[in-house]
Amino acid sequence: MAAPSPKTWVRQPLGWLLLAALVAVGSAAVAHWRQPAAAAVLLAPPANFPAPVYEVAKNQPNEAAFELGRMLFYDPRLSSDGRVSCGSCHQQARAFTDGQALAVGVAGRRSPRNSPALQNLAWHRSFMADGGVRGLELQALAPLTSAQEMNTPLAEALAKLNANPEYRRRFAAVYGPGKIDTPQFLKALAQFTSALTSTNSRYDQYVRHEPGGALSADERRGQALFQAKCSGCHATDLFTDESFRNNGLDTAFPLDSGRAHITLAPTDAGRFRVPSLRNVARTAPYMHDGRFQTLPDVLAHYAYGVRPSRTLDPLLRQPDGRLGIALTEVQQREILAFLATLTDTELLTNPRFAPPAARQETNPRGMQLSAN
Amino acid sequence: MKNRTLSALFLLAAPLALFSGCKKDSDTPEATSTGSVNFTVQNVVPNTNVVGVQPPTPLVLNSSVATTSTGETFTVSTFEYYLSNIKFTKSDGTTYAAPDTYFLVDQATAKTLSFTVPNVPTGDYTGVSFIVGVDAQRTGLTNPLDFTGKLEALNQAYNMYWTWNSGHIFLKMEGTLTSTNPTKPLTCHIGGWGNNSTPNAIVTATPAFGSNKLTVRTDKAPTIALQANVAKLFDGPNPVTLSTFMGAHMPSAQSVQIAQNYAAGMFSVTQINTN
Ligand code: HEC
Ligand code: HEC
Repeated sequence: MAAPSPKTWVRQPLGWLLLAALVAVGSAAVAHWRQPAAAAVLLAPPANFPAPVYEVAKNQPNEAAFELGRMLFYDPRLSSDGRVSCGSCHQQARAFTDGQALAVGVAGRRSPRNSPALQNLAWHRSFMADGGVRGLELQALAPLTSAQEMNTPLAEALAKLNANPEYRRRFAAVYGPGKIDTPQFLKALAQFTSALTSTNSRYDQYVRHEPGGALSADERRGQALFQAKCSGCHATDLFTDESFRNNGLDTAFPLDSGRAHITLAPTDAGRFRVPSLRNVARTAPYMHDGRFQTLPDVLAHYAYGVRPSRTLDPLLRQPDGRLGIALTEVQQREILAFLATLTDTELLTNPRFAPPAARQETNPRGMQLSAN
Repeated sequence: MKNRTLSALFLLAAPLALFSGCKKDSDTPEATSTGSVNFTVQNVVPNTNVVGVQPPTPLVLNSSVATTSTGETFTVSTFEYYLSNIKFTKSDGTTYAAPDTYFLVDQATAKTLSFTVPNVPTGDYTGVSFIVGVDAQRTGLTNPLDFTGKLEALNQAYNMYWTWNSGHIFLKMEGTLTSTNPTKPLTCHIGGWGNNSTPNAIVTATPAFGSNKLTVRTDKAPTIALQANVAKLFDGPNPVTLSTFMGAHMPSAQSVQIAQNYAAGMFSVTQINTN
């Protein structure tokens, strides 16, 4: 049976029915498409995850807002020299780190800290290695305005966006007509950053007994060692308890006192937020200042390199008075094998999180400003 | 160049946005009659031209010289602060706390040097008080994306916000210390609301009315003329020696001392006009 030509079938009642059905199916598909897949993770986290901390209800997942957030995240025009975007320091293939010990911002300036992975941010109670920032939306203001990073005052960023017809159109489509303001800008960015979830590593599939979720004998031994020796801090399947700890990097902390920078408490000197270890095989170099190039270096630190100070975490003082974590060479290798199972290619390769390439090409010369 | 044009535009837009935040507020439950109270703010430096007590002179950015009680001198390039939680007191001790009153005073933006508190119940008031800065509820607990509408003055876009340690900068004074050789930059960013048991620099000023009285009537909008003496940042209960002052850039014990200074002596009511 040959399909009727459009001309004939719309004239028939059956044709109209068919059309109506198509429209219905189509709009259902659109509705589904408007709610990004990543949002599902926030709304109904996988079995091995707790409920997110981020109040999703205050920034309802929305595909157009997510796309807007992605455009902002990858837009270097928000930096003072037009060269640095969030994506410069947070690159997808590296779990949104940058491979540098200390992040590089406008004019080659160095940040005081290492770019951390951006993943599962909706589960964070505080942000930054010292926990100084209290919310995901607020967090974006730090790199935007920092002289070492993007070096653009918020008011200037808003003026740039408001002077750009494409941004005006896209913001209006999501938030309604009017000027692009602080909440709109920060919420749009957070639509993107909160969607950067990592929940599907081989380890996750293993603990959830999903197909493909097999660990080798070495990896399982590594997991058991990790449980015994690391999970006191890198706890739960988020691989952090979100506390601030001194893991024995130095004996004194004159350059970066970590948590004490915020609390001013001497008892917090040298304590840094316990980072997640998801995708850790991709996030070298390591620690708040990027001092370790490789994971074997990190394990060697815990095994032989832990240095004493008043705030050194008690978990790193062994009963016999020795510092660090007792780990043989073999055990270190097994832990390394386990850590590799935390790599989540979905986060690292999902094209939804990649730069919106086409758009960058059509507008290569930067934002048109109203005045010059 | 572009940047400067943009920030100039913004500075023009800022006070508009600021005042759009203090329109009618009709949620006062009782049907009491109300009127408005206007404020004008004049920032000043002490007058040291003549021996004896002289009235202070208006602050001119980058030009006026402020002298502390120990004779140290500085010039000012930026002077901005929040006045919030404005409260009026009657002679019988009852008070009226005007809701959602947040004003950012910026010496560089003439329009911010006056503002109006609407819906004050009519009556005769004998005192006023306000937080120089922002209360902990708003700076610390309110969703930071809610700084629009009545709270517009608190918006992070005014650059009175610490991005690395979430919270408002209550007062910003930047300038140059001129009594040292060589001169040196002076930075005084005061804030801190007591989170994580950090220093709390939220202070209240209660400049005396003296013999003045504030008469609020439905048909009378009196004006309180406030004066703010920038030298008092460093004088008062906790004198600061500027030659050894390292600047204030974050919540700290010294920030609290400076806040106590400006709460105690920076503000005075020079006049109350009842039109
Ligand atoms: C110049 C490099 C650089 C740029 C550009 C940059 N960041 Fe970062 N980012 C960092 C560094 C370094 C840190 C860690 C800072 C700290 O711990 O004090 C960080 C931290 C973060 C965090 C907190 C992660 C955590 O686990 O606490 C988020 C979220 C984030 N950045 C998002 C962004 C967004 C959004 C942008 C664009 C507006 C951006 N970054 C631009 C370097 C950069
Ligand atoms: C006492 C708590 C504690 C224990 C136990 C601990 N860690 Fe850590 N770990 C930390 C802290 C805190 C940091 C972050 C330090 C910094 O940023 O300077 C960290 C950082 C790391 C990093 C670097 C992550 C990055 O992205 O930079 C790795 C890898 C790591 N730990 C692995 C381990 C392993 C493997 C074990 C067990 C052998 C372990 N840790 C045990 C507290 C701990």
